[in-house]
Amino acid sequence: MNRITGILFWLALIAVLAFITLPIIVVVAASLSPTSSVTFDPSQWTLGWYTDLASPRWLDPFLLSVQVAATVAAISGILGMLAAYALVYERIPGSDAIMSFLLSPLSVPQIVKGVAIVLFLSQVGLQGLLGMPALIAAHVVLALPFVTRMVATSMANFDRGLDRAARILGASKLQRLVHVLLPMVKPGVLSGVTFAFIISFNNIPLSVFLVRPGDTTLPITVINYLEYSLDPVMAAVNVASMIFILAAIFTFEKIGGFSAQIHGGSK
Amino acid sequence: MSNIDIELVSVSKSFGHVSVVKDINLQIPKGEFVSILGPSGCGKTTTLNMIAGFNAPSLGDIRIRGRSQVHVPPERRNIGLVFQNYALFPHMTVAENIGFGLRMRGASRSEIGTAVRDALRGVHLEAFASRYPKELSGGQQQRVALARAIAPRPSVLLLDEPLSNLDLKLREAMRVELKEIQEALGMTFVYVTHDQEEAMAMSDRIVVMWQGAIAQEGAPADIYSRPQTSFVADFIGRSNILPISDLVSHPPHLDFAVGGGAVRLRSAESWPGQDMRFCCIRPENVRLLQDSEAAPEALNLLTGRLRRIVNLGAQVELLVEVDPNLAVTAVVRSTLAGKLPMVGESIRLAIAPEDVQLLAR
Repeated sequence: MNRITGILFWLALIAVLAFITLPIIVVVAASLSPTSSVTFDPSQWTLGWYTDLASPRWLDPFLLSVQVAATVAAISGILGMLAAYALVYERIPGSDAIMSFLLSPLSVPQIVKGVAIVLFLSQVGLQGLLGMPALIAAHVVLALPFVTRMVATSMANFDRGLDRAARILGASKLQRLVHVLLPMVKPGVLSGVTFAFIISFNNIPLSVFLVRPGDTTLPITVINYLEYSLDPVMAAVNVASMIFILAAIFTFEKIGGFSAQIHGGSK
Repeated sequence: MSNIDIELVSVSKSFGHVSVVKDINLQIPKGEFVSILGPSGCGKTTTLNMIAGFNAPSLGDIRIRGRSQVHVPPERRNIGLVFQNYALFPHMTVAENIGFGLRMRGASRSEIGTAVRDALRGVHLEAFASRYPKELSGGQQQRVALARAIAPRPSVLLLDEPLSNLDLKLREAMRVELKEIQEALGMTFVYVTHDQEEAMAMSDRIVVMWQGAIAQEGAPADIYSRPQTSFVADFIGRSNILPISDLVSHPPHLDFAVGGGAVRLRSAESWPGQDMRFCCIRPENVRLLQDSEAAPEALNLLTGRLRRIVNLGAQVELLVEVDPNLAVTAVVRSTLAGKLPMVGESIRLAIAPEDVQLLAR
């Protein structure tokens, strides 16, 4: 009986993993294909399509996306941290109401938000902000609830006994913030920032309203390209951006890697 | 120049309508090891928090070296505090934890280095400077917490049940060590605990708290041998606390009845001048008389039936029913165990009048 459950467990696990990874494997294979149609003959695989990525056609959108995502990560990281500090740590009056308001963008469909932002900008005569400034502002609105939530959770879990310990040892409020609270919530802040970066970098529904023609983010460029052609360059773009995202996550993990010593580690 | 380090003047604390600390007056001289001892909920931790500055007194004043502290925040009181759960900074090494206080005060690198080395040596953890708290045992964490509190050389060290998370053997070893550290530093220690053995073992002075007020204050031996209330007699050590009646003075003695009038006892105390309601007899002061032994004239003699024998290791506890309304507990050395009667048999007890104390409350 136990044996059968074990086998069933492993079968289910393999099925789920296959479900997640197979599409990715197909894309990787497609990006290596020697012809425009996707083939599965490893002996003929080539990295040739990847050289196309260095052309301005792909490089410029990539750079725009990175700039937007990095700025969004930084801004929403700082705002989210400040919001969580005031609402969860200091518990200023009206904290619950303000928190609900901060999280409310989650409940508005992105398409609606995109249309609203475009209409607003043209109503007040700020169409000039379309492109990078509008993208950054919109993505911050989108990412902020996630960042705030994550930082809020780590602040809620913060042991206030540590603050008292630092206080009786003579640390001022600012010193306690810098030397005790921030290092302790750093893993939460970093995962929030990572999330914000990915949310911005992958975004289509908002960005599609806010980019300027001829100067689009990577996902929008991909969508536009797909309207006319489906070839291995497309697959190569996706594989490359996937690797980029993984590298970004890995980097953030490294920065925040201290968490192992704090929350677990060897005895 | 007074040598009083900490002074509590008519200090009271209420949370809403609940009065937690009621009009406490306390003076702690420099270099003394003082324990605030009491059951949970007696107000001892609130008192400690008021000395540390985490709670402000509702009424009264707290002075450290003569200066009122009511408007001084904890970070500027120059007090050390050892927390029950240690509260070590998990993201800092042992050395960084210990150096934290000095670093926050802007001490130089070399100053911090020296202080950390000294503190580590003081708690025998020289080899652990670069470890993280998670990598240490409970006992080691406790030493780091102590070293961290001592390193900035505070005027006073407060300790909030610091040993309660350690196992018995370690706890007993730490008692001796804490006392030695305190004597070596000559620092004033205020030690909050509910463990009377701990308080007895280390303190120069014990302040027994009950229901938000000081029940009794004095040297450990004093409190043990002369408890002033039935609460203190019961809380510190073990006691036979018996309600009394029919008190008559026969100078230089007092005679009275216990067990609802069934048994008369004699106390060596002089006339108290107020209504005494209980008598207190320590179980180790109840002597067992062997069959052959003649009863000494001057002692209180009781005859009863042995109801229960509890082996405590080095000692044996006996419950003796003297009368249906009167049971007395005696504690004797285990070496006598072979000479004890069987449960249910008759037994004779002797109590010196000097060991019978009368209590009003």
